[in-house]
Amino acid sequence: MTLAEEVRLLLEQALAVYRDSPRAAAWLRRHRSRLDEPVRVAVAGASRAGKSTAVSALVGEEFVPTGAWAWYRDGTRARAVVGGHEVPIARRDGRAFVDVGDAERVDVEWPARSLRDVVLVDTPADAPVEQVYGEADAVLYLTRHVGSADLRYLRAAHDHPVARAAPVNTVLVLARADEVGGGRIDALSSARLIARRHRREPQVKPLCQQVVALAGLLAAAARTLRDDEFAALTALAAAARVDLEDHLLSADRFVGEDFPVPLPAAARRALVDRFGIFGVRLTTTLIRQGFGTRVQLTGQLVQRSGLAELREAVGAHFTERRDALKARSALLGLDVVLRNENRPGTAALAAGVERVLASAHDFRELRLLAALQAGRVRLPEEQAAEATRLVGGLGTSPAARLGVERLPGDELRPAVLDALGRWRERAADPASDQGARRAAAVVVRSCEGVLAVS
Amino acid sequence: MSAPWLDVLDDTIRSCVTHNRPDLAERLREQRARQLDPKLRVLVLGEPRQGKSQLVNALVNASVCAVGDDVTTTVPTFVQHAETPSAALVRTNADTPTERIPVPIDRLAGELRAGRVDRLVRAEVGLPRALLTSGLVLIDTPGVGDPRPARTASTFAALLQADAVLMVSDATAELTASELDLLKRAMASCPNVVVVLTKIDLATRWRHVLERNRGRLARAGVAAKLIPVSAALRLRAARTGDRALNAESGFPELLACVQRDIVAAADVLARRTVAVTAASALRQLVVPVREELTAHGSPVAVARLNEAQRRVDELRRRSARWQAVLADEMADLVSDVEYDLRDRTRRILREVDRVFETADPARGWDAFEEWLEDNLTEAAAANFAWLLDRSRWVAEKVARSFPVHRDDLLPEGVFPPDVLDRVAKLDKPLIERFTVGQKLFTGLRGSYGGVLMLGLVTSLAGMPLINAISLGAGALFGGKTVLDESEQRLRRRQAAARVAAQRHVDDFLLKFGKDFRDAARHIQRSLRTHFSTLADELQETLLESARSARRAVQEDTTARERRTQEAKRELDRLVRLYQRVQALGDERAAPLVLSA
Ligand SMILES: Nc1nc2c(ncn2[C@@H]2O[C@H](COP(=O)(O)OP(=O)(O)O)[C@@H](O)[C@H]2O)c(=O)[nH]1
Ligand SMILES: Nc1nc2c(ncn2[C@@H]2O[C@H](COP(=O)(O)OP(=O)(O)O)[C@@H](O)[C@H]2O)c(=O)[nH]1
Ligand SMILES: [Mg+2]
Ligand SMILES: [Mg+2]
Repeated sequence: MTLAEEVRLLLEQALAVYRDSPRAAAWLRRHRSRLDEPVRVAVAGASRAGKSTAVSALVGEEFVPTGAWAWYRDGTRARAVVGGHEVPIARRDGRAFVDVGDAERVDVEWPARSLRDVVLVDTPADAPVEQVYGEADAVLYLTRHVGSADLRYLRAAHDHPVARAAPVNTVLVLARADEVGGGRIDALSSARLIARRHRREPQVKPLCQQVVALAGLLAAAARTLRDDEFAALTALAAAARVDLEDHLLSADRFVGEDFPVPLPAAARRALVDRFGIFGVRLTTTLIRQGFGTRVQLTGQLVQRSGLAELREAVGAHFTERRDALKARSALLGLDVVLRNENRPGTAALAAGVERVLASAHDFRELRLLAALQAGRVRLPEEQAAEATRLVGGLGTSPAARLGVERLPGDELRPAVLDALGRWRERAADPASDQGARRAAAVVVRSCEGVLAVS
Repeated sequence: MSAPWLDVLDDTIRSCVTHNRPDLAERLREQRARQLDPKLRVLVLGEPRQGKSQLVNALVNASVCAVGDDVTTTVPTFVQHAETPSAALVRTNADTPTERIPVPIDRLAGELRAGRVDRLVRAEVGLPRALLTSGLVLIDTPGVGDPRPARTASTFAALLQADAVLMVSDATAELTASELDLLKRAMASCPNVVVVLTKIDLATRWRHVLERNRGRLARAGVAAKLIPVSAALRLRAARTGDRALNAESGFPELLACVQRDIVAAADVLARRTVAVTAASALRQLVVPVREELTAHGSPVAVARLNEAQRRVDELRRRSARWQAVLADEMADLVSDVEYDLRDRTRRILREVDRVFETADPARGWDAFEEWLEDNLTEAAAANFAWLLDRSRWVAEKVARSFPVHRDDLLPEGVFPPDVLDRVAKLDKPLIERFTVGQKLFTGLRGSYGGVLMLGLVTSLAGMPLINAISLGAGALFGGKTVLDESEQRLRRRQAAARVAAQRHVDDFLLKFGKDFRDAARHIQRSLRTHFSTLADELQETLLESARSARRAVQEDTTARERRTQEAKRELDRLVRLYQRVQALGDERAAPLVLSA
């Protein structure tokens, strides 16, 4: 039985046990139907961390931020629902606008390829951590700089027995990366270095699967670049660098008088609002460097803003791990019921939850990854890197696990067999400690899994 | 150019000498020396990466503080005036207090970043700058809110030494709740705060942020000025000599504000302090002279002599009383405050026991450590605040049992100027409410404040707590152990955790308890010194009266008349001097009583 099937079965059994409790039954049914949805990714973080902007960048459409929980799903046509009623989606300054009033939640259906595998949830800044992690299967946690408040938040998110048994679902995003370095032209590469440093930090490592830097404003603007904007940027790039330099020193100067390029102040104001002064400097530089078409420019910006890397992280850690994340959410949901309502069947169900948590190979992989990251399991450096890869730490496709670029199928087998042999030996090596042997056993099982599909 | 207050002070000192009061003269001379070395410490405070270091660099137009995209500032950096540029790293050693290691000024930032030198406590930079010649010292600090607490602790230790604070927050976002908290915390120990909004070149909507911040400060009841600046523009303007750009950078306003609200305000304060001390000395000089004038004929002179004698004896008797009150009250204080500390830690330990009855220490130990640290810090802070409150109360009580013959014995004048530090003195309303505690606290800073925070952090860092608990690496991902923990092992771990927590709390009590008793001793000592000085002065005044009364009894009529004339002239002189003292600053000294 696959993990998904096992979890579904547990939910069915629970529904039978709790059929007399409307509250528990409704809760369990919600969790059952949630199993079939795409992964729910919540975007969380402090006020003005750039959450709504990041959601716009990921969806590829600019939405006017609301103070409510905003759910974005794929759909056949654009529609928004507030309090059970469909409300119109208007346009405001080129952005999609939904009048939410003082409702707590808005559901938006939006036909977009980027929403095919995920449901995105934009959360209000004061959303409680339990609620965020309860509603979502995975979380993008945004912060401008990693501070102690962020670490506290993430620790709280792991403070649950089931969550600890499957510690898997957070990507830390260093948001507003263009503001690093006070907007120097190399701000984004500097931000990437900082993200890399955090990845190695013992305090941060156990709390998330990945750390990426994102210049959300730039990414959102790039993905929704309009003709008039592109024309304006091209005109700017055409002006002599020395003429423009003084006018790019500050946002104030950019919209000030005596501008050397015939662009109305209002157009310049709109441009700097959308891109930031850093974004204006970067785009003009890129166009001058030869990325002169819209497609080229957008491609560069998506890459440099960190959006591409963020999407990859969402892919490798969330969408590819869909089964494990979904199962995890369902078990968390089931756990809530078991703790709150005691029935004759409760103990058996609890034993079932424990069994799945302890035995499902997906979870074992995730626990090993977490243990390796947190340094609770110590392997020689090279072995640790290989183990991380083989248990799916860099992506769960066979190629990603083997660390090769899309090899034809028949070349994959020998590589798997080779790895399998080595890790079998390690699993039985009396010279290494028990922790290392158990780790090796998990890797062996992962290799066998790859072998079965290749 | 000698300041008017200096002339008045020197004249007063001379009068003290002529009137045979070397004790008063000495006190005024100390005061004079302190006022002539006006170090004005301006602390640059804020969360990480708000542009604090860059702000200091832009203020002095030199790249002396390390600026970076990541967390860079690791120790406070003191930038002050020097004839030639110089820099040094200062570190503590086990036996000697500090050691200065000179480094070339252009290598300072690099040295700090490389972190090659251990136990650094601060860096010092000397620069020839007009801005700094008034004695201004700019202190760049590590950001508050950095997950590495030792750095934050050094910032708070530096805060205790500040005369003014520049609170830095960048214009890319409004002031956050944690920044407002920090601001309030800063204002509690140093009310003279200016909020600087940095990076206005970068933030498109900085004017909006400025407005919102104004509203926030107003709602929080914080009366601080807000000044928008861009260090980037200022530094570029300095390189290219572009005056318009310099004006756009906002630095001219900031510098004017520093000059007006910090430097000039400090001068007003100096004058005020001088006025208070000089007036007090003059009032004491006047007493014997006035009595001399009221003496007519020898029967009166004899009565005067008897009266003076009686008052000297009375004073000696009552001195014993205030000393007893001080000793008793301080003993009570120490035992009460110690009890309070033990009670607070007991409650923490009870909570620890309760938690580890069920919880497994193998999970969430980091969070627990943090919790314990937070709670102990809070206990220490609350306990220390209480110590200060109680000390103030003791001071007032001693003042009441003191032979009350002087008007500057009232609480606001209880402490002599040598505890009168300029910290927290610039904003009048706050001082008056907190005088004694604040002054004592500042008297202790440096020695105590640093120990309070730093001592705590090191005691936690050096603690091998996690080793006390066998984590069994496999347990965390191996099969059954995930939820189903072997009961026995869990109990063992819980017991180990309780012992570790207990031991840590004991260490804490030992360390903090000692610091706290030292502080109490220090307070007792300074209260005793203060009241003894007052008593000595009082006695000297009475003795001088007695001496002149004796002379009056012995002298013949013509000599007495000549002396009366002299006394009249002398009184005139003192009155004129007193008027000059009153004219200093806005001091409203009590009118000098001339008639008997
Ligand atoms: N410079 C810059 N500004 C950003 C970025 N992302 C968001 N912002 C700005 O920060 C503010 C708050 O952004 P928003 O996405 O609404 O934050 P939220 O409160 O976390 O949802 C807005 O003024 C955005 O324009 C970014 O990547 N760079
Ligand atoms: N654009 C711009 N960047 C600034 C300004 N002040 C500081 N920065 C940048 O902000 C970052 C953090 O500055 P730093 O002074 O090290 O911050 P600190 O941690 O508060 O001391 C650095 O990359 C600086 O270059 C400013 O006025 N304008
Ligand atoms: Mg938002
Ligand atoms: Mg700094």
